[in-house]
Amino acid sequence: MITQPHPSFIRRSAYGPEPKTRAAALPGIVGLDIQSLFPDMPRAIYVEGGDLGVVRAATRNSLKDVPMDKIRPGDKVNVLASQYGFTIMGGDAYAEMLRTIKDVVEERTGCRNIRLRVCTGFRIREPDEIIEHYRLREHFPAGAMGIRAIDKGIPIETEIGTLYGVARVYDADWIIHAHHGELRELDMHRMINRAYKPFAMSYARMETRAVAHMNFGPRSSNFVSRVIFHSPFVQSKFTFGCFLLTSPQGITGVTAGTDLEALDRKLMLLGFKSYGKIRELFAEIKDCIVVLDGTGEPRYMAGGGLSFGNVTEAELDLFDLDVVPVSLGFGLYERPRGQPKAKSVNPAIRALVINHMWLGVPQQELATHIPTIAVGDDLARLLREDPMNHDFMARCVTADNLPTAMKFAHALSGTDKVVVFDGSFGTMTVSPSLASYLTERAPHVSRRVDEELMPKWLRQRGIAPESIEAVDA
Amino acid sequence: MVEIRFLAHVDREKCVSCPLCENVCPTAAVTLPAKGAKAEVVDEKCVACPNCSGVCPVDAITLVPREVPLRLGLDATEEEEPAIVALCQKAHLHPQQWLCLCTATRVREGAAAVLRGATTPEEVALATGTRSGCTVYCLQPTLRLLKAHGVKVVQPEGYRWYDTSQTCWDVPEAVVRKYPGHFLEEDLAVFRKA
Ligand code: SF4
Ligand code: SF4
Repeated sequence: MITQPHPSFIRRSAYGPEPKTRAAALPGIVGLDIQSLFPDMPRAIYVEGGDLGVVRAATRNSLKDVPMDKIRPGDKVNVLASQYGFTIMGGDAYAEMLRTIKDVVEERTGCRNIRLRVCTGFRIREPDEIIEHYRLREHFPAGAMGIRAIDKGIPIETEIGTLYGVARVYDADWIIHAHHGELRELDMHRMINRAYKPFAMSYARMETRAVAHMNFGPRSSNFVSRVIFHSPFVQSKFTFGCFLLTSPQGITGVTAGTDLEALDRKLMLLGFKSYGKIRELFAEIKDCIVVLDGTGEPRYMAGGGLSFGNVTEAELDLFDLDVVPVSLGFGLYERPRGQPKAKSVNPAIRALVINHMWLGVPQQELATHIPTIAVGDDLARLLREDPMNHDFMARCVTADNLPTAMKFAHALSGTDKVVVFDGSFGTMTVSPSLASYLTERAPHVSRRVDEELMPKWLRQRGIAPESIEAVDA
Repeated sequence: MVEIRFLAHVDREKCVSCPLCENVCPTAAVTLPAKGAKAEVVDEKCVACPNCSGVCPVDAITLVPREVPLRLGLDATEEEEPAIVALCQKAHLHPQQWLCLCTATRVREGAAAVLRGATTPEEVALATGTRSGCTVYCLQPTLRLLKAHGVKVVQPEGYRWYDTSQTCWDVPEAVVRKYPGHFLEEDLAVFRKA
């Protein structure tokens, strides 16, 4: 079903240019309704711009049976947040979940010393921008602070030796793990221990993040998060986890509990149910122009609720644990025997137009493998000066404005199929030709996932088929 | 070759000697010569990463264009190929694998730097131009190459980096058994060396 496109709000940042005319405003660009493609996908309770009271109520509801009695009035509590939560549909839903967690803990325990820790990746100043934009200091009078991977560490003794967390993550009596279930980069977690991942990333020192990324394999890297979580040190502080749940349609609910393994299993099943079909639908695209036009770095920018990092590797079914592609992030170079050779970037992407993005992750492979056009001198200058992408602009051309860039991309690629990664959930921002193609392919994809892929994904993880029906956001 | 086009500049009027910058510099280019002194940058060691300017609490550090770009890197073909391959194998790394994605540097270049005598992560960074981007992921292959070459790495004072470099080859058998379904053995089997 064709509808209006709904690009997500772009947050201003030192890491990106000033927002300009959005790709969704280009003549002929439409919104493709996701629910009409896959009616069985978990439904949204909230989409951007909606009533945040719904998120507040869902968070309160998820916490109602979570025991909090170990927190005493005089204790210190750290609510641990990760920066990507704030890029989901403008970030208001995640911010609302965090505020509600604080309110509920305060009401239930009488504890007033509840601080917020906003953890980040490589954009060192991003937490300060987040705290200011969402006015989090006002809601966390005991303190709202950014956490960087290069901040002072604290040793954590684990079953595989000493690893390091960031000291200020753990400088409280108790920690609350406040995360989200957005799919993000499937190639890095493969739906294994997804709920544990921040313990070796957001909450960890840089050496530990690199141990997970560089020293373990494409399926075992989250094992590092798991042993950190199970360390006596982290266990002595952990209270509960609370997750904002998403599907490509929007925020689907909130779930919380003290049993992270149970939460992880729920996230995994919801991940299959929410993202299995949309990912497979993107894999059906044989030629297209991709336009990046959102908050954050390309890899994590959503289009139709799916992050772009999943589309650059869409040719492989990365839910399938038998598939082990050569991945840039891990210590693989040669293709393991019998494995498909992943192209560095999905060859269906014939041209890449960057209208808006942030710096902050190495992503040189995009410009190396796809004809790339950056829109505007301000974006080009940022990219040229980006230490994480030394040669990006040497492999990329610049256009003065978006219509010119699109004209060039069409001529270059010979396709009229366009998909925009503009942070949209609920709809996919596309050209009419791609909308018709995807509408035609969706029933085939739906059948393939239901009959072939989902049973395989479940079988590989020893999960009974009926579990997928039973799980609910 | 990695071209470093910028340089950290300290505004001494603003600097409050805190000394956060000293603890985040991947090449030990910015230091406080004494307690309470102002931060100073050694120009030829600065790889213009985002760290010191990012953490300075009073915005005393800015990255300014260099008059002449600093060119870092080495030609790994000048080292004996069997020696590079042997060192990489010992570190369980592939010579063609990425050492640093930000600068598109391969492990063989890090191996060459170690074979030429680099003994610290800071020296490897200055020999190869790595750690000038995110400064994070390249640290592990660097530590692994140094250790495989028999270098006894010494963790610096403060928190510039911590000496931790576990790999999937180091997980004790009992732990592998305790966590079935984590693909520890399967992932080991898919890693192939040079
Ligand atoms: S290398 Fe990075 S942290 Fe060190 S002085 Fe230069 S910019 Fe600052
Ligand atoms: S971080 Fe800033 S204030 Fe602190 S020592 Fe360095 S330059 Fe001075």
